[in-house]
Amino acid sequence: MRIVWLVAVGAAFVLLVAPHHAHAGDRGLASAFMCQCGCGLTLASCTHASCGPRDQVLGEIAALERQGRSPAQITAALVGTYGEVILGAPTRRGFNLLAWWGPYGAIAAGAALILGLGMSWVRRPTVITPDSPPGLSPQQREHLERELVAFRD
Amino acid sequence: MGEIGGLAISLAFVVSLYGVAAPLLGQALKRPELARSGSAAVYANFLLLTIASAALLQALLARDFGNAYVASYSSRDLGFWYTLAAFWAGQAGSLLFWALLLTGFAALVVWRQSLYRELMPYVVATLMGTSAFFTMLLAFVSSPFTRVPFTPPDGSGLNPLLQNPGMFFHPPTQYLGYVGFTIPFAFAIAALATRRLDDEWIRATRRWTLMAWFFLTWGIIFGMQWAYVELGWGGYWAWDPVENASLMPWLTATAFLHSVMIQEKRGMLKVWNLVLIILTFALSIFGTFLTRSGVLSSVHSFALSSMGPLFFGFILLSLAAGFILLFVRLPALRSAPELDSLVSRESSFLFNNLILVGAAFSVFLGTIFPMLSEAVRGVKISVGPPFFNQVNVPIGLALLLLMGLCPLLAWRKASARNLTRNFLLPAGITVVAAGLMTASGPVHPIALVAFTLSIFTAASILQDFHRGVMVRRSHGETYPLAAARLVARNHRRYGGYVVHIGMILLFAGMAGSAFSAEREAVLKKGQSVALKQYTLRYEGPSQYSTRSAQVTAATLTVFNSSKPVAVLSPQRNFHKTHPDQPMTEVAIRSTMMEDLYIILAGLGEDGTANFRVIINPLMMWMWLGSAVLTLGTVIAFWPERGEALRNRSRYLVEGA
Repeated sequence: MRIVWLVAVGAAFVLLVAPHHAHAGDRGLASAFMCQCGCGLTLASCTHASCGPRDQVLGEIAALERQGRSPAQITAALVGTYGEVILGAPTRRGFNLLAWWGPYGAIAAGAALILGLGMSWVRRPTVITPDSPPGLSPQQREHLERELVAFRD
Repeated sequence: MGEIGGLAISLAFVVSLYGVAAPLLGQALKRPELARSGSAAVYANFLLLTIASAALLQALLARDFGNAYVASYSSRDLGFWYTLAAFWAGQAGSLLFWALLLTGFAALVVWRQSLYRELMPYVVATLMGTSAFFTMLLAFVSSPFTRVPFTPPDGSGLNPLLQNPGMFFHPPTQYLGYVGFTIPFAFAIAALATRRLDDEWIRATRRWTLMAWFFLTWGIIFGMQWAYVELGWGGYWAWDPVENASLMPWLTATAFLHSVMIQEKRGMLKVWNLVLIILTFALSIFGTFLTRSGVLSSVHSFALSSMGPLFFGFILLSLAAGFILLFVRLPALRSAPELDSLVSRESSFLFNNLILVGAAFSVFLGTIFPMLSEAVRGVKISVGPPFFNQVNVPIGLALLLLMGLCPLLAWRKASARNLTRNFLLPAGITVVAAGLMTASGPVHPIALVAFTLSIFTAASILQDFHRGVMVRRSHGETYPLAAARLVARNHRRYGGYVVHIGMILLFAGMAGSAFSAEREAVLKKGQSVALKQYTLRYEGPSQYSTRSAQVTAATLTVFNSSKPVAVLSPQRNFHKTHPDQPMTEVAIRSTMMEDLYIILAGLGEDGTANFRVIINPLMMWMWLGSAVLTLGTVIAFWPERGEALRNRSRYLVEGA
């Protein structure tokens, strides 16, 4: 019962905290689309002081916003022009679901494995092991004494 | 000198091969003198690579532009220190630096840890095998001593992005971290090869692992700091593939540092610890591979090359060698795992490992997913910060929660009474703090969770520490003395706690970004822009030349609630060697509560200046957290004489 509770709390945590939709952040849509200059960053964080591809896409976004297009319509228009590579995060469809849910699936599988193994380890009868190491032979004792004296010096 | 350097590298490759073969043959043929000659090969290798490094430094300082590397990464107007740093600015130089560090570490291991005589032949062979790979690259693929047909009058200069003090700290610490993990990996391979599969190899490498982890942590932090002040977009972590590549081994190494405690205390997780160190080593090479291969676009793309397949092959070889040995030794690794309860500190360590490795997997999957998608769907996609932030925030918060739970759980079995006693105070403080935060106004839900968990974790750690001190106080010691003696008696535990406090500050700093604010403004001289409590008045532009750049600065007076508090001058620099690559130099005013971050985005011909102004809350907490983390690592690293004696006598007993 305790384990069911643990799993439920874990699942609730992920569902509560994991956002379910693309969220653009403080810089609006500029944070949701990748710059096409090759920097590997979003339009909002492209590191180039002057960047033609960034300014072009930002201009297109501004123009579409002036036309009253919604974020979803702007996204569709940009994907139509540039392909999915313009999106800062993959769509939540088909093969891309592997990227979105793969890590959580792996962690959930790992948690199940730990719980399963852990329960079997808990049930296992305790093995009594000797507390002290086996006795030393005279040669070993002499060797140890010599090394310890050298080490202290 | 160039010829000497090239010759030294070629010899180092040959000596590395000897260093692999001699110890293994010495063991196989039972010729100890042959095995010992492998150790001599380690010293010789270090000497040869030191000579090669000295030759490259001499070529850089002498402005020998007939050397292709010197011509590509330095110029006459480059200052002394940046000329030195050009050593690791390019591919060939950084590979030489990697190999030099590796052989330096290997020499230290041979010198200091020859006591582990059964392990040493295999340790030396593994270290020299890694050295052979890097010296092979230097000798045959990317030599720092290649000559150009005609000596140019000047070099191309150092990329302006690299002309930052971070260049002296970030690459060296990053490499010290990456290279450092080769040592525990080598001992792990040696343990597998010799069947000495108890915790001897872990004890032998505990400090090496901690040192490598420490340097990799600082490599990442220096990289964040550099990105923050140099890249000029207001952030410090862009989930760039190369950044991710440094985070992955850090996560697996952090898991390893925790799980080895279970093996030492309970004799469990032997296989898991070997898996973790093999993965950490492979991911460290993967980090170098991603930086050097160019398979993924990155802000580090100044270092592209075609040596990706070779790195990929070496990673596969390392993984294959490690996992095949592990598979063969599985019967000998079987232990009798015992858990008294699933609600215990041991269990919390297991879950902590799960989350850390899950985070590494998440980052790995996101990093390679564009390649996967193209291979499976034939569609090019991007996986950028929006994805990583959404997927990794819950995982990070789970980790923070576990960090807080761990000190509250007793070893072996946490009873209901123990749980109530330990949870009551931290939970109470957390509830009150969360209530106050919620009452103070609208808070971003994720930031609220992050701050709440940070408070819970800090409270649980401080409570545990306080209880330890109070036990000592009952023997008549004063509080400071009791605290000092408590830490002195268990460096690892309390050093670890201090590291956790540092991590909490880092988490809080990251959560602060939920409250950032930003504004763009085009201002004429005398005009102002306001953002939150700040008003910025543009005083006008100025231009001047430095030795290497033409600088355009825009001066702003900063008012905090009408009171002038600072004069800041963000800049745009045009470096003489890279005039087509203007660089933004941001201006930052830091306080404990927030950073005022100003970027000069451009200057108009009509005299206007285009500014981007950002308020980044709690940034200072991150850098403070880094300092606390350092203190904790030093405490954990500090040798305990008793421990050293125990380890040595234990080894002698077993080896005699």
